Amino acid sequence: MNNKKLLKKIKRQCHSLPLKNFKVTILNDIVTITGKAPDYQTYLKTGLIIGKIKGVTGIINNLIYPGYTPIEKKPGKSKSLGSADIVIIGAGVTGCAIAQELSKYDVSIVIVEKAEDVACGATKANNAMVHSGIGETPGTLKQHLCVKGHFKFPQLAQDLNVPYINCGMYIIITKDSLAQLRVPSFLKPLLAKHLIPWIILRRGKKMGIPIKRINKKELLQKEPHVTPEALLAISSPSYGVTSPYEFTIALAENAIQNGVTLHLNTEVVDFIIENKNISKIVTTKGTINTTFVINAAGVDADHLAELAGTREYTIHPRKGSIILFDKEYIETINHNLTYFHYPTQTHTKGGGIMMTTHGNIQWGPTAIEQKQKYDTSVTQEELQHILNKYTHLLPTFPTSALITYFAGVRAPTFTEDFIIRPAHHLKGFIHAAGIQSPGLAAAPAIAEKVIDILKQEGLDLHHKKDFNPYRPKPIRIHELSYEERQRHITHNPLYGRIVCRCEHITEGEIVDSIHRPIPALTLDAIKRRTRAGMGRCQSGFCLPRVAKILSRETNTPLENIIKNSEHSHLFIGTTKNLLKEENNETL
Amino acid sequence: MKHYDIVIIGGGPAGLAAAIKAAEQETSVLIIERSTELGGILPQCIHQGFGLFILNKNLTGAEYAQHYINQVKEHNIDIQTDTMVLEITKDKKIIATNKHDGLFSIQAKAIILAMGCRERTRSQIKLPGTRPAGIYTAGTTQRLINIEGIMPGKKVVILGSGDIGLIMARRFTLEGAHVEGVYELLPQPSGLTRNIVQCLEDYDIPLHLSHTIIDIHGPERVKAVTIAKINMKTMKPIPETLRTITCDTLILAVGLIPENELTKTVGLTLDPLTNGPIIDEHMETNEDGIFACGNVVHVHDIVDDVTTTAENAGTSAVQYIKHGLSHTTPIPILPGENITYTIPQHLRGQTQQIPLYFRVNKVIKNAIIQLTADNTIITKKKERIVKPPEMLKLTLNRENLPTNQIKNITISARPAP
Repeated sequence: MNNKKLLKKIKRQCHSLPLKNFKVTILNDIVTITGKAPDYQTYLKTGLIIGKIKGVTGIINNLIYPGYTPIEKKPGKSKSLGSADIVIIGAGVTGCAIAQELSKYDVSIVIVEKAEDVACGATKANNAMVHSGIGETPGTLKQHLCVKGHFKFPQLAQDLNVPYINCGMYIIITKDSLAQLRVPSFLKPLLAKHLIPWIILRRGKKMGIPIKRINKKELLQKEPHVTPEALLAISSPSYGVTSPYEFTIALAENAIQNGVTLHLNTEVVDFIIENKNISKIVTTKGTINTTFVINAAGVDADHLAELAGTREYTIHPRKGSIILFDKEYIETINHNLTYFHYPTQTHTKGGGIMMTTHGNIQWGPTAIEQKQKYDTSVTQEELQHILNKYTHLLPTFPTSALITYFAGVRAPTFTEDFIIRPAHHLKGFIHAAGIQSPGLAAAPAIAEKVIDILKQEGLDLHHKKDFNPYRPKPIRIHELSYEERQRHITHNPLYGRIVCRCEHITEGEIVDSIHRPIPALTLDAIKRRTRAGMGRCQSGFCLPRVAKILSRETNTPLENIIKNSEHSHLFIGTTKNLLKEENNETL
Repeated sequence: MKHYDIVIIGGGPAGLAAAIKAAEQETSVLIIERSTELGGILPQCIHQGFGLFILNKNLTGAEYAQHYINQVKEHNIDIQTDTMVLEITKDKKIIATNKHDGLFSIQAKAIILAMGCRERTRSQIKLPGTRPAGIYTAGTTQRLINIEGIMPGKKVVILGSGDIGLIMARRFTLEGAHVEGVYELLPQPSGLTRNIVQCLEDYDIPLHLSHTIIDIHGPERVKAVTIAKINMKTMKPIPETLRTITCDTLILAVGLIPENELTKTVGLTLDPLTNGPIIDEHMETNEDGIFACGNVVHVHDIVDDVTTTAENAGTSAVQYIKHGLSHTTPIPILPGENITYTIPQHLRGQTQQIPLYFRVNKVIKNAIIQLTADNTIITKKKERIVKPPEMLKLTLNRENLPTNQIKNITISARPAP
């Protein structure tokens, strides 16, 4: 569509919105809008309406809304951290998958991550689904990469020694699935039993993924606890579940094994550009000379693109909260379960009831638009919403068996699709942004696509002769047979001493995690690698003990041990010191 | 594989008392304890109030524990500390692990479960908000302060008026921290009256009843909590009462849950009213030769009761080994009007005097406690005031039972007419 037509269409569709000084400019099919919106809702709505228009490849939403604060530029350090052929910004699943794939080639690669560990953004807080692609809008980049990526997942997980279960997904159709459809009610069961399955099966065939129809009798055999209101189910058997943070840690460790350098606690604050080419990145720890940058910075990707002068999209943060239930109830489902609802929404697949690779049950996620990029609080309303929504799928499930809940923030763009392409006006800058679900499943395919782009952009990529695709399996004592455990204990008695009583995690595993290629230096980093603190008592018992081990192994005074980020101090000092302070003051 | 007559899982006050009683009768006894020392939760309880009834002394928890540890040492009782039991089988094999022996099994003739309890978590009460550092359950802070010498925080808000919360309110204050207040969801406190007086009133720490926390602000370390008064009818926050309190620590004292993961490995189901196994007057569970005592059965208020009932378990275990314990048709003991639960849950033996323990589910002034066998009233007792946090006792005298063929026994509590 040419710009004039597009402009007309946009103006028409936004005509009734309460905007002031609304201006639209279009360049390279990227739409920039400016003006004033009376509230965040309108700011969102405008962006999303334009995002739905065919042909729009990006939206830069510069509408000002109440509470908008521009991001301040941070100071960097000028110390040189060396140079690299490629710098990847962001060590989430996207950045680490790209790094691992790139490490197959004879190039120097550096990952910079602003947090204290890998996987600290949405990567550690999603529902771990390796989606098949059936729930994605056909024709989108995310759908295409999801299908491709999920087929690669099982082998990759095996090579990296990461948990993965081919659990399959049942899409449950009930008489309520078509509640919103305006047809006479006698037609609804007919449509539900025949038309919907036909549509989904056809979509699956087009996408190249196996899809099957499951009649009610078989459904109740395979899922005895599912709601009796289910009419039938559609099965997507290539669905899987993994451990997203373990997967990301494994990708990063394998990348490091193969020569990649990882800088944690290193935030990119600026780019040095010479003759429309990237020449340097500036971070809070120093500068790195490079000519290729991959922007995989999650919720910060648009800000970083802005810093590089190549802003082509705006990210609108969308929180997802998930509730985790006790392992005791893992047998209530044999596949992941989700509802089918008409009309389907473009930005959420609706979530469902899923298993984890560790044997817990998850319900969720929610999809809450919010202004703040880093707000991962879980609200009362979200908890209620999740419990109310999914209890209909599994009416006899004991919701009191709740263990914990958490949230992550997705990084969707207004076109609600991935943006994986070279920047229009800056050579060497590659966007790998706008990642939301199915980012995890798509990660291996995203990585391959980025390699293709790098080749097209002129990077010489030759395969390494000594690339090692296998990451050694971490010792997980509680998964081993008694004989295997005894063998490990003979070599290292610390594998015989249990520290986390809920998950049966040993001191040996905790010590291992502290000394791995990416050392676990915080309580949460240890938790993600070992599971210590993820059980019923939520670290009530093991927190003092794990903190002591970390203190001992890193020669850090116990009172300085932190939970995750820099200011997340667990303690304020040793006892008696507050009284000393008080006494000094009175003197 | 080692063999023992009696293996006791847990070396806290329950395990210690059971072990001593068993060892007095010349059986081989082993205590398996996951911590590096015996005593269970007691070593971190440096406040007094332990042993008032059973020892006629006012001891600290640590002193009370040492009293029994000394006796354990005097008897020929084997001890394995720093050892975690992974599994118990129906034929009484115990699989455990530690760093010296690795994985090993022990065969027992009888087992006494004495694993105690764990604390209810923030997630279990569905507190919304962020998940920063600085949120602790009260028992964890007690360990940090009293055993590790670490201060968790200095500006404290406490949710829950259970005993451990009240004790920690005082403990934090004595260490120089500022406790802004204790907030309790219910309209009455959950802890013992003596603790309300000695821990809050004596230190001018305000207690806010019918309040809860509706938001926790972080994100890295606790910065503030938002509290609100709750409308007792709708159980929803009253909007005008919302208040945000600056603090750096949130302590949760919102209940204890008997720790029965091992109990489940042997195939026992739990009583939903107590979260513990069903036991009879011999402290025997529904698996022959497996006994349970202490907080793993139900949460006690005073350790003296734990000791008494654990001694019963020890004696019964010896009886089981030497002569067997025959079971009659079980007579259920049911919680009647205003009663939350009763222990034991049923009678299966011939014991003449049976102590019954129970809790009321609300405060009743001038209460009449009644024990009925089918429709006959066996015992009636007056109490000036009864409260949920204060466990009650009644002795059932078999002589008073109308016949031997009783369907069930019921305990009830009503206000006097």
